[in-house]
Amino acid sequence: MRKKELRIYSTFTDRWATQGFLFMLPALFFVTLFIVVPVFLNVFLAFTNYKGFGVPYRFIGLMNFQSLVTDASFWLVLGNTFRLLLIYVVVLNVVAIFLAILIVDVGARFGNFVKALLYFPCLLAPIVVGFVWRLILNYNRGLVNSTLRSFGLDGLAQNWLGEPALIIPIISLVIVWFATGYYTIIYYAGVMAISPEYYEVATLEGANGIQKFRYVTLPMLAPAITINVVLSTMGVLGAYDLPTAISAGGGPGYHGTTLALLVIRYVYDTYQEGKALAVAVIMSLIAVVLAYFELKILIKREEH
Amino acid sequence: MPGQKSRRIQNMHIGGHIILIVVATIILIPLYYVFINAFKTDAAINLHPMAFSLDYFTTANMANVWRLLAFPKALLNSVILVVISCSILIVSGSMAGFAIAIVNNRLLKTLYIILILLISVPFQVIMISIIQILSATKLMNNYFGTSFVFAAVSMPFTVFLYTGFMRAVPRELCEAAIVDGCGMGQTLLRIYLPLMKIVTSTILILRGTGIWNDLLIPLVTFTNERYDPLVRRLYSFASLRFNRWDLLFAGTVLCSIPILLLFLFLQRVFIRGLLVGSVKG
Repeated sequence: MRKKELRIYSTFTDRWATQGFLFMLPALFFVTLFIVVPVFLNVFLAFTNYKGFGVPYRFIGLMNFQSLVTDASFWLVLGNTFRLLLIYVVVLNVVAIFLAILIVDVGARFGNFVKALLYFPCLLAPIVVGFVWRLILNYNRGLVNSTLRSFGLDGLAQNWLGEPALIIPIISLVIVWFATGYYTIIYYAGVMAISPEYYEVATLEGANGIQKFRYVTLPMLAPAITINVVLSTMGVLGAYDLPTAISAGGGPGYHGTTLALLVIRYVYDTYQEGKALAVAVIMSLIAVVLAYFELKILIKREEH
Repeated sequence: MPGQKSRRIQNMHIGGHIILIVVATIILIPLYYVFINAFKTDAAINLHPMAFSLDYFTTANMANVWRLLAFPKALLNSVILVVISCSILIVSGSMAGFAIAIVNNRLLKTLYIILILLISVPFQVIMISIIQILSATKLMNNYFGTSFVFAAVSMPFTVFLYTGFMRAVPRELCEAAIVDGCGMGQTLLRIYLPLMKIVTSTILILRGTGIWNDLLIPLVTFTNERYDPLVRRLYSFASLRFNRWDLLFAGTVLCSIPILLLFLFLQRVFIRGLLVGSVKG
């Protein structure tokens, strides 16, 4: 059926093959000049002693990568990046699924209100959110500590943003606070799309709430979960604005720094362009892995 | 028995309400905290951070921040960047999406897959090379240079959306247009784009706010602060004054107002657009 349709159709649009390519040119121009060329240029430059525009440079082999892997802070940052990915992606998706189910459950009126409210933080600039939480978690004057102190719980008041062990979990959770609305709305659409008949059958079979969730909701949400996991991983891998705003550029030390921040720190703080280029190559390798999954999902979605 | 069951369901709903109210509070408290303190003196922020009282009310912070940020100029810079990059995005994106959707051609399909792959490239990967390319083409410190970068990084997703939705348009429409003597450009302009209003507004909203709120690309592509858009101006401003909480609160609120106003007017479009952007069809 579909094949036949295509054949009839192609007689009409065959003559547009050349023109179709012309129609793609503007998009291709921007994407080639500002994404494709830079990706390859970056890999090339990573093997040179490039120091900035206009300065002559030469081939130095793997030296940039060598100085990167012998730098202890790089391994710390790599660990931070994976910790951020793990905490953020797991917490975000669990919370968003849970909220989506609750929003469907409580009905349209209250549900819509919560949905709009949850989406609200997504509108703010990430650096605004970062600054706000930096103030809230401030040791001397922040809302969290002043509340704890006013209840006489001075002992619990922490230097939240100064603790090396706490900073990555805090950054992850603040990004969750920021992004939950977006993912909740996607899951909400997924939950709404599940036919009520499945739940009716489950009820007839005597399933309780948890069993319904386990055997109906979760399997039906599987495609949405895959998409959201890939989307959220991609989103947080390059996240710069919010983490840098909350951790004052990746502190304390390198404990609040991820790969996304490390590139900028190397370029603008320590002037080590070579190491920055090497980090960028590593990030592109991670991006290739993500792109593979992304392509599988998107193409599959297309076929439906 | 039925009574017991309905009571259990009722309990569950009450539980759901309570959890959602708690979640709503977690979202609201930071927003309230910022908003209320934007209109207080520094001393009042210190002593009564959560108090809502007209005794502490002042608009001096706002006036100061307005001046220090050079707000009108920064706002204008943001508007210029969003307008140029979104225009490029919509024009080039819809043309590319249209070509991929209606022309049955192997080359175009391959290019489409490459475009999709580029969605996952983080900006940091291309940052240093972008500086080099912009410097070589004299596009550093140039509204167009920065807008080109913004348009380029948003292009793959835009083409993806247009392609998906244009494929879903019944082919008879396209054939009828050809029979009536429309060329490819006219078919796009007169038949397809009017059908794509939701997709176009989605892209404008999602990418428009994304570009408006972005710090990193202006940070890298502008070295002269006279071009700085609002968010970057706020960043430099805040980094220098982290002990002045009155100014920080006022600055964050002032910089958020334009987008929030937009949201209030276009709330329906926003939420609908989110779904278009995430769940196809």
